[in-house]
Amino acid sequence: MLEIEHLRKVYDGHGRSVEALRDLTFRVGAGELVCLVGPSGCGKTTLLRCLAGLLEPTSGRTLLEGQPVTGPPERMAVVLQEYGRSLFPWMTVAANVELPLREKKLPKARRRELVTKALTEVGLADAGTAYPWQLSGGMQQRVAIARAVAYEPHVLLMDEPFAAVDAQTRADLEDLVRRIWKDLGVTILFVTHDIDEAVYLAQRVVILSNSPTVVQEDLTVDLPAERDQLSTRSDPRFTKLRGHVYEQIQKAKAGT
Amino acid sequence: MNRVPRRLAATLALPSLLVAFWWWASAGSTSFYLPPLRQILAVFPQVWTVDRFETDVLPSLARLAAGYLLAAVVGIGIGVVIGRSRVVRGIAEPGLEFFRAIPPPVLVPILMLFAGIGDQMKIIVIATGALWPILLNTVEGVRAADSVLIDTARSFRIGGLRRLRHLTLPAAGPQIFAGLRQAVSIAIILMVISEMFAANEGLGFAIIQFQRSFAVPEMWSGTILLGLIGFGLAWAFRLVERRVLFWYFGMRAAARDH
Repeated sequence: MLEIEHLRKVYDGHGRSVEALRDLTFRVGAGELVCLVGPSGCGKTTLLRCLAGLLEPTSGRTLLEGQPVTGPPERMAVVLQEYGRSLFPWMTVAANVELPLREKKLPKARRRELVTKALTEVGLADAGTAYPWQLSGGMQQRVAIARAVAYEPHVLLMDEPFAAVDAQTRADLEDLVRRIWKDLGVTILFVTHDIDEAVYLAQRVVILSNSPTVVQEDLTVDLPAERDQLSTRSDPRFTKLRGHVYEQIQKAKAGT
Repeated sequence: MNRVPRRLAATLALPSLLVAFWWWASAGSTSFYLPPLRQILAVFPQVWTVDRFETDVLPSLARLAAGYLLAAVVGIGIGVVIGRSRVVRGIAEPGLEFFRAIPPPVLVPILMLFAGIGDQMKIIVIATGALWPILLNTVEGVRAADSVLIDTARSFRIGGLRRLRHLTLPAAGPQIFAGLRQAVSIAIILMVISEMFAANEGLGFAIIQFQRSFAVPEMWSGTILLGLIGFGLAWAFRLVERRVLFWYFGMRAAARDH
Protein backbone atom coordinates (compact mmCIF):
# COMPACT_ATOMS: atom_id res chain seq x y z
CA MET A 1 0.00 0.00 0.00
CA LEU A 2 2.42 2.62 1.24
CA GLU A 3 6.05 1.60 0.94
CA ILE A 4 8.86 3.79 2.16
CA GLU A 5 12.22 2.75 0.76
CA HIS A 6 15.54 4.10 2.01
CA LEU A 7 14.15 7.58 2.39
CA ARG A 8 16.81 10.18 3.09
CA LYS A 9 16.47 13.93 3.41
CA VAL A 10 19.34 16.38 3.76
CA TYR A 11 18.65 20.08 4.09
CA ASP A 12 21.29 22.17 2.42
CA GLY A 13 21.71 25.82 3.07
CA HIS A 14 23.83 28.53 4.58
CA GLY A 15 26.99 26.54 4.03
CA ARG A 16 26.02 23.58 6.16
CA SER A 17 23.90 20.58 5.54
CA VAL A 18 21.62 18.93 8.07
CA GLU A 19 20.73 15.31 7.66
CA ALA A 20 17.17 15.10 8.92
CA LEU A 21 16.33 11.61 7.75
CA ARG A 22 19.12 9.10 7.27
CA ASP A 23 17.61 5.90 5.95
CA LEU A 24 13.99 5.03 6.54
CA THR A 25 12.36 1.87 5.31
CA PHE A 26 8.98 0.63 6.44
CA ARG A 27 5.63 -0.16 4.97
CA VAL A 28 2.00 0.32 5.77
CA GLY A 29 -0.37 -2.36 4.56
CA ALA A 30 -3.76 -1.62 3.04
CA GLY A 31 -6.31 -0.85 5.72
CA GLU A 32 -3.74 -0.60 8.50
CA LEU A 33 -3.62 2.06 11.19
CA VAL A 34 0.04 2.78 11.93
CA CYS A 35 1.41 5.37 14.33
CA LEU A 36 4.81 6.96 14.00
CA VAL A 37 6.42 8.11 17.23
CA GLY A 38 9.84 9.45 17.98
CA PRO A 39 11.71 11.88 20.17
CA SER A 40 11.00 15.56 19.52
CA GLY A 41 12.98 16.95 16.64
CA CYS A 42 13.46 13.55 15.03
CA GLY A 43 12.15 14.66 11.67
CA LYS A 44 8.60 13.36 11.92
CA THR A 45 7.21 16.34 10.08
CA THR A 46 9.94 16.15 7.43
CA LEU A 47 9.06 12.51 6.89
CA LEU A 48 5.37 13.23 6.60
CA ARG A 49 5.95 16.05 4.15
CA CYS A 50 8.06 13.71 2.02
CA LEU A 51 5.37 11.04 2.09
CA ALA A 52 2.70 13.58 1.19
CA GLY A 53 4.67 14.68 -1.84
CA LEU A 54 5.09 18.18 -0.44
CA LEU A 55 8.83 17.81 -0.04
CA GLU A 56 11.30 16.12 -2.36
CA PRO A 57 13.48 13.54 -0.56
CA THR A 58 17.21 13.67 -1.21
CA SER A 59 17.19 9.99 -2.08
CA GLY A 60 14.98 6.96 -1.67
CA ARG A 61 11.33 6.88 -2.58
CA THR A 62 7.79 6.35 -1.47
CA LEU A 63 5.42 4.07 -3.32
CA LEU A 64 1.70 4.51 -3.00
CA GLU A 65 -0.12 1.47 -4.34
CA GLY A 66 2.94 0.64 -6.36
CA GLN A 67 3.41 4.08 -7.89
CA PRO A 68 6.21 6.42 -6.84
CA VAL A 69 5.10 9.61 -5.09
CA THR A 70 6.46 12.64 -6.95
CA GLY A 71 3.87 15.23 -5.96
CA PRO A 72 0.77 15.20 -3.77
CA PRO A 73 -1.11 12.06 -4.87
CA GLU A 74 -4.81 12.11 -5.58
CA ARG A 75 -5.50 9.13 -3.38
CA MET A 76 -4.00 10.71 -0.30
CA ALA A 77 -5.34 13.29 2.13
CA VAL A 78 -3.45 15.09 4.86
CA VAL A 79 -4.56 16.48 8.22
CA LEU A 80 -2.04 18.87 9.73
CA GLN A 81 -1.43 19.88 13.31
CA GLU A 82 -2.24 23.57 12.89
CA TYR A 83 -5.98 23.29 12.35
CA GLY A 84 -6.33 27.05 12.80
CA ARG A 85 -4.11 27.61 9.79
CA SER A 86 -5.14 24.74 7.57
CA LEU A 87 -8.77 25.78 7.09
CA PHE A 88 -9.64 28.65 4.78
CA PRO A 89 -11.08 31.34 7.07
CA TRP A 90 -12.89 33.09 4.20
CA MET A 91 -14.98 30.00 3.47
CA THR A 92 -17.75 28.34 5.41
CA VAL A 93 -17.13 24.94 6.90
CA ALA A 94 -19.07 23.27 4.07
CA ALA A 95 -17.14 25.22 1.41
CA ASN A 96 -13.87 24.18 3.04
CA VAL A 97 -14.84 20.54 2.84
CA GLU A 98 -16.12 20.96 -0.70
CA LEU A 99 -13.19 22.82 -2.26
CA PRO A 100 -10.94 19.78 -2.88
CA LEU A 101 -13.93 17.97 -4.39
CA ARG A 102 -14.38 20.76 -6.90
CA GLU A 103 -10.78 20.28 -7.91
CA LYS A 104 -11.63 16.62 -8.43
CA LYS A 105 -14.33 17.78 -10.86
CA LEU A 106 -17.10 15.91 -9.09
CA PRO A 107 -20.64 16.90 -10.04
CA LYS A 108 -22.44 19.22 -7.67
CA ALA A 109 -24.93 16.70 -6.31
CA ARG A 110 -22.16 14.24 -5.50
CA ARG A 111 -20.13 16.97 -3.79
CA ARG A 112 -23.10 17.94 -1.63
CA GLU A 113 -23.63 14.34 -0.68
CA LEU A 114 -19.98 13.80 0.29
CA VAL A 115 -19.85 17.04 2.30
CA THR A 116 -22.99 16.19 4.25
CA LYS A 117 -21.80 12.67 4.89
CA ALA A 118 -18.34 13.74 6.03
CA LEU A 119 -19.66 16.46 8.34
CA THR A 120 -22.13 14.02 9.85
CA GLU A 121 -19.35 11.49 10.30
CA VAL A 122 -17.36 13.93 12.47
CA GLY A 123 -20.43 15.13 14.35
CA LEU A 124 -20.70 18.54 12.73
CA ALA A 125 -23.80 18.05 10.60
CA ASP A 126 -25.20 21.43 11.65
CA ALA A 127 -22.01 23.48 11.36
CA GLY A 128 -21.84 23.66 7.56
CA THR A 129 -22.75 27.32 7.31
CA ALA A 130 -20.46 28.46 10.13
CA TYR A 131 -17.00 29.88 9.54
CA PRO A 132 -14.00 28.01 10.97
CA TRP A 133 -13.09 30.84 13.36
CA GLN A 134 -16.53 30.61 14.94
CA LEU A 135 -15.72 27.07 16.10
CA SER A 136 -13.60 25.75 18.96
CA GLY A 137 -10.18 24.23 18.26
CA GLY A 138 -11.46 20.67 18.52
CA MET A 139 -14.32 21.41 16.14
CA GLN A 140 -11.94 23.03 13.66
CA GLN A 141 -9.83 19.89 13.66
CA ARG A 142 -13.00 17.87 13.07
CA VAL A 143 -13.65 20.02 10.01
CA ALA A 144 -10.13 19.29 8.74
CA ILE A 145 -10.79 15.58 9.28
CA ALA A 146 -14.14 15.87 7.48
CA ARG A 147 -12.41 17.56 4.54
CA ALA A 148 -9.92 14.70 4.36
CA VAL A 149 -12.67 12.08 4.67
CA ALA A 150 -14.85 13.66 1.97
CA TYR A 151 -11.88 13.53 -0.38
CA GLU A 152 -12.25 9.72 -0.28
CA PRO A 153 -8.54 9.01 0.03
CA HIS A 154 -7.03 5.57 0.14
CA VAL A 155 -4.44 6.82 2.61
CA LEU A 156 -4.92 9.39 5.32
CA LEU A 157 -1.78 11.05 6.72
CA MET A 158 -2.17 12.83 10.03
CA ASP A 159 0.62 15.01 11.40
CA GLU A 160 0.22 15.42 15.16
CA PRO A 161 -3.36 16.47 14.58
CA PHE A 162 -4.32 16.63 18.25
CA ALA A 163 -1.20 18.19 19.72
CA ALA A 164 -2.88 21.55 20.18
CA VAL A 165 -6.24 20.56 21.69
CA ASP A 166 -7.12 19.95 25.33
CA ALA A 167 -7.03 16.45 26.83
CA GLN A 168 -10.77 15.73 26.79
CA THR A 169 -11.23 16.90 23.22
CA ARG A 170 -8.21 14.85 22.36
CA ALA A 171 -9.71 11.65 23.70
CA ASP A 172 -12.88 12.29 21.68
CA LEU A 173 -10.89 12.94 18.53
CA GLU A 174 -8.83 9.79 19.03
CA ASP A 175 -12.01 7.74 19.17
CA LEU A 176 -13.24 9.59 16.10
CA VAL A 177 -10.12 8.52 14.18
CA ARG A 178 -10.58 4.91 15.24
CA ARG A 179 -14.23 5.01 14.18
CA ILE A 180 -13.50 6.58 10.78
CA TRP A 181 -10.77 4.06 10.20
CA LYS A 182 -13.14 1.20 10.88
CA ASP A 183 -16.13 2.68 9.04
CA LEU A 184 -14.30 3.65 5.89
CA GLY A 185 -11.58 1.05 5.70
CA VAL A 186 -9.05 3.75 4.96
CA THR A 187 -5.34 3.28 5.59
CA ILE A 188 -4.06 5.71 8.23
CA LEU A 189 -0.54 6.81 9.05
CA PHE A 190 -0.68 8.87 12.19
CA VAL A 191 2.32 10.88 13.40
CA THR A 192 2.42 11.80 17.06
CA HIS A 193 4.85 12.54 19.87
CA ASP A 194 2.40 11.19 22.42
CA ILE A 195 3.25 7.59 23.36
CA ASP A 196 -0.14 6.84 24.95
CA GLU A 197 -1.92 8.14 21.91
CA ALA A 198 0.23 6.01 19.60
CA VAL A 199 -0.37 2.80 21.54
CA TYR A 200 -4.07 3.53 22.02
CA LEU A 201 -4.72 4.18 18.33
CA ALA A 202 -2.42 1.91 16.41
CA GLN A 203 -2.22 -1.63 15.19
CA ARG A 204 1.48 -1.02 14.76
CA VAL A 205 3.79 1.60 16.19
CA VAL A 206 6.87 2.58 14.20
CA ILE A 207 9.39 4.10 16.59
CA LEU A 208 11.86 6.51 15.06
CA SER A 209 15.36 7.20 16.31
CA ASN A 210 16.95 10.52 17.08
CA SER A 211 17.94 12.68 14.11
CA PRO A 212 19.48 11.67 11.67
CA THR A 213 16.53 9.36 11.70
CA VAL A 214 16.22 5.63 11.12
CA VAL A 215 13.54 3.18 12.24
CA GLN A 216 14.32 2.21 15.83
CA GLU A 217 11.64 -0.44 16.13
CA ASP A 218 8.53 -1.64 14.38
CA LEU A 219 6.17 -2.78 17.11
CA THR A 220 2.89 -4.65 16.74
CA VAL A 221 0.25 -3.52 19.20
CA ASP A 222 -1.55 -6.70 20.21
CA LEU A 223 -4.44 -5.04 21.97
CA PRO A 224 -8.04 -6.04 21.21
CA ALA A 225 -9.55 -4.31 18.18
CA GLU A 226 -12.33 -2.80 20.29
CA ARG A 227 -10.74 -0.03 22.25
CA ASP A 228 -12.14 2.55 24.59
CA GLN A 229 -10.54 5.23 26.64
CA LEU A 230 -11.32 3.60 29.98
CA SER A 231 -10.73 -0.13 29.64
CA THR A 232 -7.96 -0.05 27.04
CA ARG A 233 -5.88 2.45 28.92
CA SER A 234 -6.16 0.43 32.15
CA ASP A 235 -5.35 -2.86 30.40
CA PRO A 236 -2.02 -4.21 31.79
CA ARG A 237 -0.99 -5.02 28.23
CA PHE A 238 -1.44 -1.34 27.30
CA THR A 239 0.73 -0.27 30.22
CA LYS A 240 3.38 -2.75 29.21
CA LEU A 241 3.40 -1.61 25.60
CA ARG A 242 3.54 2.07 26.45
CA GLY A 243 6.38 1.30 28.86
CA HIS A 244 8.22 -0.45 26.10
CA VAL A 245 7.75 2.39 23.62
CA TYR A 246 8.82 4.86 26.28
CA GLU A 247 11.99 2.90 26.88
CA GLN A 248 12.75 2.72 23.19
CA ILE A 249 12.32 6.46 22.82
CA GLN A 250 14.60 7.07 25.80
CA LYS A 251 17.15 4.85 24.11
CA ALA A 252 16.65 6.69 20.85
CA LYS A 253 17.26 10.00 22.60
CA ALA A 254 20.45 8.66 24.08
CA GLY A 255 21.45 7.55 20.62
CA THR A 256 21.79 3.81 21.18
CA MET B 1 -27.65 55.33 24.43
CA ASN B 2 -27.92 52.96 21.50
CA ARG B 3 -24.69 51.84 19.78
CA VAL B 4 -25.17 53.39 16.36
CA PRO B 5 -25.95 56.98 17.48
CA ARG B 6 -23.16 56.67 19.96
CA ARG B 7 -20.61 55.76 17.31
CA LEU B 8 -21.95 58.45 15.04
CA ALA B 9 -21.55 60.99 17.84
CA ALA B 10 -17.99 59.81 18.46
CA THR B 11 -17.19 60.14 14.75
CA LEU B 12 -18.66 63.61 14.43
CA ALA B 13 -17.47 65.06 17.73
CA LEU B 14 -14.00 66.20 16.71
CA PRO B 15 -14.93 67.46 13.22
CA SER B 16 -17.83 69.46 14.72
CA LEU B 17 -15.52 70.93 17.30
CA LEU B 18 -12.97 71.92 14.66
CA VAL B 19 -15.61 73.47 12.42
CA ALA B 20 -17.01 75.39 15.38
CA PHE B 21 -13.54 76.59 16.21
CA TRP B 22 -12.94 77.67 12.61
CA TRP B 23 -16.27 79.47 12.59
CA TRP B 24 -15.50 81.27 15.83
CA ALA B 25 -11.87 82.11 15.05
CA SER B 26 -12.58 83.38 11.55
CA ALA B 27 -15.82 85.20 12.42
CA GLY B 28 -14.17 88.59 12.77
CA SER B 29 -11.50 88.01 10.12
CA THR B 30 -10.79 90.94 7.88
CA SER B 31 -7.97 89.17 6.03
CA PHE B 32 -8.64 88.92 2.31
CA TYR B 33 -7.10 85.44 2.15
CA LEU B 34 -8.79 84.04 5.24
CA PRO B 35 -12.44 84.98 4.91
CA PRO B 36 -14.90 84.07 7.69
CA LEU B 37 -16.25 80.52 7.42
CA ARG B 38 -19.74 82.07 7.33
CA GLN B 39 -18.85 83.74 4.06
CA ILE B 40 -17.31 80.56 2.59
CA LEU B 41 -20.38 78.52 3.41
CA ALA B 42 -22.60 81.25 1.99
CA VAL B 43 -20.94 81.05 -1.42
CA PHE B 44 -20.80 77.23 -1.36
CA PRO B 45 -24.28 76.57 -2.79
CA GLN B 46 -23.83 79.37 -5.30
CA VAL B 47 -20.55 77.96 -6.60
CA TRP B 48 -21.26 74.22 -6.52
CA THR B 49 -24.45 74.15 -8.51
CA VAL B 50 -25.78 71.20 -10.46
CA ASP B 51 -24.25 72.67 -13.61
CA ARG B 52 -20.87 73.01 -11.96
CA PHE B 53 -21.07 69.42 -10.76
CA GLU B 54 -21.70 68.28 -14.29
CA THR B 55 -18.92 70.30 -15.89
CA ASP B 56 -16.23 70.08 -13.20
CA VAL B 57 -16.89 67.60 -10.43
CA LEU B 58 -18.22 64.58 -12.28
CA PRO B 59 -15.48 64.53 -14.96
CA SER B 60 -12.90 64.69 -12.17
CA LEU B 61 -14.53 61.84 -10.31
CA ALA B 62 -14.82 59.78 -13.50
CA ARG B 63 -11.10 60.19 -14.15
CA LEU B 64 -10.39 59.36 -10.52
CA ALA B 65 -12.41 56.16 -10.81
CA ALA B 66 -10.79 55.18 -14.12
CA GLY B 67 -7.25 55.82 -12.88
CA TYR B 68 -7.90 54.09 -9.59
CA LEU B 69 -9.43 51.01 -11.17
CA LEU B 70 -6.60 50.80 -13.66
CA ALA B 71 -4.09 50.97 -10.82
CA ALA B 72 -5.99 48.33 -8.86
CA VAL B 73 -6.19 45.86 -11.74
CA VAL B 74 -2.58 46.33 -12.83
CA GLY B 75 -1.25 46.51 -9.26
CA ILE B 76 -3.00 43.39 -8.04
CA GLY B 77 -2.26 41.52 -11.28
CA ILE B 78 1.46 42.24 -11.33
CA GLY B 79 1.64 41.99 -7.55
CA VAL B 80 0.33 38.42 -7.61
CA VAL B 81 2.85 37.42 -10.29
CA ILE B 82 5.76 38.96 -8.40
CA GLY B 83 4.61 37.80 -4.99
CA ARG B 84 4.24 34.19 -6.02
CA SER B 85 7.72 33.66 -7.38
CA ARG B 86 10.90 34.24 -5.46
CA VAL B 87 12.85 34.50 -8.71
CA VAL B 88 10.62 37.19 -10.20
CA ARG B 89 10.71 39.03 -6.88
CA GLY B 90 14.49 39.10 -6.86
CA ILE B 91 14.54 40.59 -10.34
CA ALA B 92 11.69 43.05 -9.91
CA GLU B 93 12.15 44.42 -6.42
CA PRO B 94 15.07 46.85 -6.93
CA GLY B 95 13.26 48.36 -9.91
CA LEU B 96 10.04 48.65 -7.95
CA GLU B 97 11.77 50.43 -5.10
CA PHE B 98 13.20 52.93 -7.56
CA PHE B 99 9.90 53.71 -9.26
CA ARG B 100 8.10 53.93 -5.98
CA ALA B 101 10.55 56.57 -4.80
CA ILE B 102 9.62 58.91 -7.66
CA PRO B 103 6.97 61.38 -6.48
CA PRO B 104 4.09 60.95 -8.96
CA PRO B 105 3.46 64.70 -9.50
CA VAL B 106 6.92 64.85 -11.10
CA LEU B 107 5.54 62.59 -13.79
CA VAL B 108 2.89 65.07 -14.87
CA PRO B 109 5.13 67.19 -17.14
CA ILE B 110 6.73 64.07 -18.59
CA LEU B 111 3.42 62.33 -19.22
CA MET B 112 2.05 65.50 -20.82
CA LEU B 113 4.67 65.08 -23.53
CA PHE B 114 3.49 61.57 -24.33
CA ALA B 115 -0.16 61.58 -23.51
CA GLY B 116 -1.14 65.19 -24.14
CA ILE B 117 -3.28 67.16 -21.73
CA GLY B 118 -6.55 65.30 -22.11
CA ASP B 119 -8.33 62.75 -19.98
CA GLN B 120 -5.84 60.10 -20.96
CA MET B 121 -2.89 61.92 -19.37
CA LYS B 122 -4.82 62.61 -16.18
CA ILE B 123 -5.95 59.02 -15.85
CA ILE B 124 -2.40 57.80 -16.38
CA VAL B 125 -1.09 60.21 -13.75
CA ILE B 126 -3.66 59.01 -11.22
CA ALA B 127 -2.97 55.38 -12.09
CA THR B 128 0.82 55.63 -11.90
CA GLY B 129 0.63 57.22 -8.47
CA ALA B 130 -2.02 54.91 -7.04
CA LEU B 131 -0.31 51.83 -8.45
CA TRP B 132 2.61 51.58 -6.02
CA PRO B 133 0.92 51.07 -2.68
CA ILE B 134 -1.42 48.54 -4.29
CA LEU B 135 1.37 46.69 -6.08
CA LEU B 136 3.80 46.58 -3.15
CA ASN B 137 1.15 45.57 -0.66
CA THR B 138 -0.10 42.84 -2.97
CA VAL B 139 3.43 41.48 -3.37
CA GLU B 140 3.86 41.45 0.38
CA GLY B 141 0.45 39.92 1.02
CA VAL B 142 0.93 37.14 -1.51
CA ARG B 143 4.44 36.44 -0.30
CA ALA B 144 3.37 36.19 3.32
CA ALA B 145 0.50 33.75 2.71
CA ASP B 146 0.38 31.12 5.43
CA SER B 147 2.63 28.16 4.64
CA VAL B 148 0.20 25.73 6.25
CA LEU B 149 -2.61 26.92 3.99
CA ILE B 150 -0.32 26.63 0.97
CA ASP B 151 0.64 23.07 1.99
CA THR B 152 -3.01 22.23 2.48
CA ALA B 153 -3.93 23.52 -0.96
CA ARG B 154 -1.03 21.64 -2.50
CA SER B 155 -1.85 18.39 -0.78
CA PHE B 156 -5.39 18.59 -2.17
CA ARG B 157 -3.94 19.47 -5.56
CA ILE B 158 -5.72 22.79 -5.71
CA GLY B 159 -3.99 24.74 -8.46
CA GLY B 160 -4.37 27.26 -11.22
CA LEU B 161 -7.29 29.66 -11.17
CA ARG B 162 -8.99 27.91 -8.30
CA ARG B 163 -5.93 28.43 -6.19
CA LEU B 164 -5.71 32.08 -7.22
CA ARG B 165 -9.34 32.69 -6.39
CA HIS B 166 -9.67 30.64 -3.22
CA LEU B 167 -6.21 30.93 -1.72
CA THR B 168 -3.84 33.55 -3.12
CA LEU B 169 -6.19 36.52 -3.41
CA PRO B 170 -8.19 36.08 -0.22
CA ALA B 171 -5.07 35.31 1.82
CA ALA B 172 -3.49 38.53 0.57
CA GLY B 173 -6.81 40.37 0.93
CA PRO B 174 -6.17 42.30 4.14
CA GLN B 175 -2.82 43.51 2.86
CA ILE B 176 -4.22 44.33 -0.60
CA PHE B 177 -6.91 46.42 1.07
CA ALA B 178 -4.29 48.29 3.09
CA GLY B 179 -2.69 49.22 -0.24
CA LEU B 180 -6.02 50.11 -1.83
CA ARG B 181 -6.80 52.39 1.08
CA GLN B 182 -3.53 54.32 0.74
CA ALA B 183 -4.14 54.50 -2.98
CA VAL B 184 -7.47 56.30 -2.47
CA SER B 185 -5.88 59.35 -0.91
CA ILE B 186 -3.00 59.36 -3.38
CA ALA B 187 -5.45 59.16 -6.26
CA ILE B 188 -7.44 62.13 -4.95
CA ILE B 189 -4.29 64.22 -4.63
CA LEU B 190 -3.21 63.32 -8.14
CA MET B 191 -6.66 63.97 -9.53
CA VAL B 192 -6.37 67.56 -8.32
CA ILE B 193 -2.73 68.01 -9.31
CA SER B 194 -3.26 66.63 -12.80
CA GLU B 195 -5.92 69.32 -13.30
CA MET B 196 -3.76 72.14 -12.09
CA PHE B 197 -1.13 71.91 -14.82
CA ALA B 198 -3.09 71.89 -18.00
CA ALA B 199 -6.83 71.61 -18.04
CA ASN B 200 -9.99 73.39 -18.98
CA GLU B 201 -12.34 71.68 -16.58
CA GLY B 202 -12.26 69.71 -13.37
CA LEU B 203 -12.28 70.29 -9.65
CA GLY B 204 -8.59 71.15 -9.42
CA PHE B 205 -8.91 73.43 -12.42
CA ALA B 206 -11.86 75.25 -10.81
CA ILE B 207 -9.99 75.79 -7.55
CA ILE B 208 -6.96 77.19 -9.42
CA GLN B 209 -9.26 79.43 -11.48
CA PHE B 210 -10.81 80.86 -8.32
CA GLN B 211 -7.39 81.42 -6.85
CA ARG B 212 -6.09 83.21 -9.94
CA SER B 213 -9.15 85.46 -10.10
CA PHE B 214 -8.88 86.24 -6.37
CA ALA B 215 -12.27 84.64 -5.70
CA VAL B 216 -10.99 83.59 -2.28
CA PRO B 217 -14.20 82.34 -0.56
CA GLU B 218 -15.00 80.35 -3.72
CA MET B 219 -11.51 78.85 -3.65
CA TRP B 220 -12.01 77.84 -0.02
CA SER B 221 -15.38 76.34 -0.86
CA GLY B 222 -13.65 74.13 -3.45
CA THR B 223 -11.17 72.95 -0.87
CA ILE B 224 -14.02 72.07 1.48
CA LEU B 225 -15.74 70.14 -1.29
CA LEU B 226 -12.52 68.20 -1.88
CA GLY B 227 -12.39 67.35 1.79
CA LEU B 228 -15.99 66.16 1.70
CA ILE B 229 -15.30 64.01 -1.35
CA GLY B 230 -12.29 62.47 0.39
CA PHE B 231 -14.39 61.77 3.44
CA GLY B 232 -17.17 60.23 1.37
CA LEU B 233 -14.77 58.00 -0.51
CA ALA B 234 -13.07 56.84 2.68
CA TRP B 235 -16.46 55.99 4.11
CA ALA B 236 -17.48 54.08 0.98
CA PHE B 237 -14.15 52.29 1.05
CA ARG B 238 -14.71 51.10 4.59
CA LEU B 239 -18.11 49.79 3.62
CA VAL B 240 -16.63 47.73 0.79
CA GLU B 241 -13.74 46.56 2.96
CA ARG B 242 -16.05 45.43 5.77
CA ARG B 243 -18.04 43.44 3.26
CA VAL B 244 -15.15 41.81 1.39
CA LEU B 245 -12.98 41.14 4.44
CA PHE B 246 -15.81 40.18 6.81
CA TRP B 247 -13.99 36.94 7.59
CA TYR B 248 -10.85 38.82 8.57
CA PHE B 249 -12.63 41.13 10.98
CA GLY B 250 -14.64 38.20 12.31
CA MET B 251 -11.51 36.16 12.84
CA ARG B 252 -9.78 39.00 14.66
CA ALA B 253 -12.78 39.59 16.87
CA ALA B 254 -12.92 35.84 17.64
CA ALA B 255 -9.21 35.82 18.52
CA ARG B 256 -9.74 38.73 20.92
CA ASP B 257 -12.61 37.00 22.67
CA HIS B 258 -10.68 33.78 23.34
